[in-house]
Amino acid sequence: MAAIVLRDYAVTRSYRYALVFDFALAVVDLCVYYYISKALPGASAADLDGAPSYFAFVTVGLAVTVVISSASAQLAQRVREEQLTGTLEALVTQPVKASELAFGLGGLPFLLALVRAAIYLTVATALLGVSFAGADWVGFTVVMMATGAALLGLGIALGAVVLVIKRATVVVTLASFALGLLGGAFFPVEVLPDWLQPIAAIVPTRFAFDGLRAALFTGGGWEDDAAALAAIAVVGLPLALWLFRRALDHCRRTGSLVQY
Amino acid sequence: MRGLTRRFGDLEALPPLDLALDPGERLALRGPNGSGKTTLLRCLAGTLIPSGGEAWIGSHRAGTLAARELLGASLAAERSFYLRLTGRTNLLLFARMRHSSAGEARRQTEELIEELSLEEIAARRLDACSTGMVQQVAFARALLGDPILLLLDEPTRSLDREAIDRLWAALDRRPRLAAIVASHRPDDADNCGRRLELGA
Repeated sequence: MAAIVLRDYAVTRSYRYALVFDFALAVVDLCVYYYISKALPGASAADLDGAPSYFAFVTVGLAVTVVISSASAQLAQRVREEQLTGTLEALVTQPVKASELAFGLGGLPFLLALVRAAIYLTVATALLGVSFAGADWVGFTVVMMATGAALLGLGIALGAVVLVIKRATVVVTLASFALGLLGGAFFPVEVLPDWLQPIAAIVPTRFAFDGLRAALFTGGGWEDDAAALAAIAVVGLPLALWLFRRALDHCRRTGSLVQY
Repeated sequence: MRGLTRRFGDLEALPPLDLALDPGERLALRGPNGSGKTTLLRCLAGTLIPSGGEAWIGSHRAGTLAARELLGASLAAERSFYLRLTGRTNLLLFARMRHSSAGEARRQTEELIEELSLEEIAARRLDACSTGMVQQVAFARALLGDPILLLLDEPTRSLDREAIDRLWAALDRRPRLAAIVASHRPDDADNCGRRLELGA
């Protein structure tokens, strides 16, 4: 697994300007929401899960969204790249377990997402006036790790979909976008229509956003969300790994491992 | 292997095949395009599940993790590398998948680079290498982890005379290493003790 993560790091480093621009994009992204928040003031902390302003609220949303995206969409994208470059077959002939392959492909995107999330929070604090003075950083770390574990299951499952149907970009993007939208990345889920509320109540990202905002803005009350995320991870990860193995077997059976 | 066969729908890509290979034995797979040479190699490598029959690498069923530890493969070599990385980095990455220690992976990578005279290729990014150069790295990759069986698909295609000589010399230095070599070149068959004609 470490070999695959190191490989991805080496490839990513070879695109050094892309990496720099990616982090710069994070700052620009944050500035857009900063000015939206300044233009549309007025929401109260009670409406924003304890966040003192819409900008503070959405900063956490953005930070978590990149982690969601890395744990879900980017793993599927990595599988797709292996298909397109023809290296998937070379990997599968190695003595590497399907689970090592899945975790290995998700490893670097997840680590980079944590860096990007840290950039969001640092820039928001240092330059744009968001205060995390009362934050429970232990709680933040616990919820973040639980979020990664819970969503990695989804990412591996999406990777399995890509293995089988190849061009699944739309499915992956839709899933990632819906998770952010329904979980409350950009606005409180209470503003969603009534018929969407039951779905919003159970999407894993909802627990991630609620837990992280609770840890950062109120300094407590994140424990239930962390427990829910951990439960999703305990059920979802083995299921996703089973799906990934089945997808690899499907490719071996149909001879489509080398197809793209 | 016993009765190993592979179909793609109505097409019988590989007719039922019985075959046993002893340690150190080299088998040249011959036959026209589409006769099933690559299909057979893929079934043994575990990237294709046979439609019927069975194949074993040592005492392990082909395709299992234990079987994959025992074999090295060079299939579709020109596409199966990370071209933005150097030959050395590519070899190291695959070596790490076959060795539990990073030091051991590095040691074997350097030994193979020296043995196969790959110093120049090892230092270059593979997108700056010719097809033949990449092919040589693919052969080196197949030797990582000291396999007992090599599966080589057209291993000498695009290679110059010196590189071909180095390839066979490397196999000669490994008297216990069995190899199945799919090739159209008569020279390759001459370097193998046995021949199997597919699609005949």
